[in-house]
Amino acid sequence: MKKQTILALTVATILVAVCADSAMAYTLLSPRRTWASTPINVPVYNQGNSSITDGDGGVTAVVGAIRAWGVVNSSSTSQAAVRGTAPATITLNSNGHICNGSCLAATLTGYYSGNTIYDADVYTNTKYKFYSSREADGCSGEYDIDGIMVHEVGHVIGLGHSTVAGATMYPSVSACNAGNRTLEADDIAGKNDLY
Amino acid sequence: MNRRSLILGSLLLALAIPMAASQFLELPFDQVAREAQFIVRGNIVQTWSAWDDQHEVIYTYATVRVQRYFGEATGPDTLVVREVGGTVEGYTQEAIGFPMVRNGEDVVLFLSRWDDGADFRIHAFNQGKYLVRQRGGKEVVVSDPVTQGAERLDAGHGFDVRSNAISAITPALGIDELSDMIDNARAGRTEADRQIERQ
Repeated sequence: MKKQTILALTVATILVAVCADSAMAYTLLSPRRTWASTPINVPVYNQGNSSITDGDGGVTAVVGAIRAWGVVNSSSTSQAAVRGTAPATITLNSNGHICNGSCLAATLTGYYSGNTIYDADVYTNTKYKFYSSREADGCSGEYDIDGIMVHEVGHVIGLGHSTVAGATMYPSVSACNAGNRTLEADDIAGKNDLY
Repeated sequence: MNRRSLILGSLLLALAIPMAASQFLELPFDQVAREAQFIVRGNIVQTWSAWDDQHEVIYTYATVRVQRYFGEATGPDTLVVREVGGTVEGYTQEAIGFPMVRNGEDVVLFLSRWDDGADFRIHAFNQGKYLVRQRGGKEVVVSDPVTQGAERLDAGHGFDVRSNAISAITPALGIDELSDMIDNARAGRTEADRQIERQ
């Protein structure tokens, strides 16, 4: 291969990489909106998911996992989610009548025109089987509740999706993939953009 | 791989990003087509939003004037589609990544009934919604680039469906090709069957 061809290919590769890198990034919800103050209180309703065999249906695991965002405070609560009213609440044992069919989990956010998030609640489709970081029996065709809820809480705090493969806010998820538990640089950049 | 498979693959790839918000599982096209009660090409002629009876969820209702039913199932000239999310008295609720229904849209919708009502919802979320466009003198379908919570070109002023982010190179499928695919899916014919038929 001629030197000129190699050079051209190298330049083209660099250009593609640079363009791809600049195009791949976190997104914010539109319109941009944030909570009025931090830490953001995101309790987990204490009625866990029956498919998770870690002693409390994933509640403790999710309480711990979502703190990865750094701006989130969490605990278990006996108060079920009240939609349209803070605090943001995670529900593991109900689809909220909105997350069925091919939906694994959904975040329902509420805001007025002032771009301050007023409420955000997360629901789980109980049709599917999940596992948690506190489960001893491993994973077989189940979905990682820790990672899924870290992703959903990204929406709660105001993030949209990222096109960076491997980022927690990357939109797709597969069974037995626990990668979303750990925030990547792109997720942290998104959070730092907001708070 | 034939041209139709390539186009469908590209369309599904383009659809994959907006589809997977909140967190969804990607269903095979044939499954979505088989499970939908009605598949229609129509125009959204009216939308309105309202709280549910429990004042917990805002739904947006869309009246769809049906111009064509795909597959063997037919129904009325107008249908009401209800989707989670909307704005009432200045308060907006969004289910992040769920499909949006917007007044004036030309659409193909895969519809199934809500468990709790007589009206319809888009089946399989964004996998059940396509926008209809004109390209090269014929109708094509493209995936909807805007879901709830995603960037709108004119955020805060409503969404102009005539100037959205669909360019001439956005993967598209002819509406008659889509119709064939729906017929095959609902008849239970696999891709292998179709290849044999074409030989």
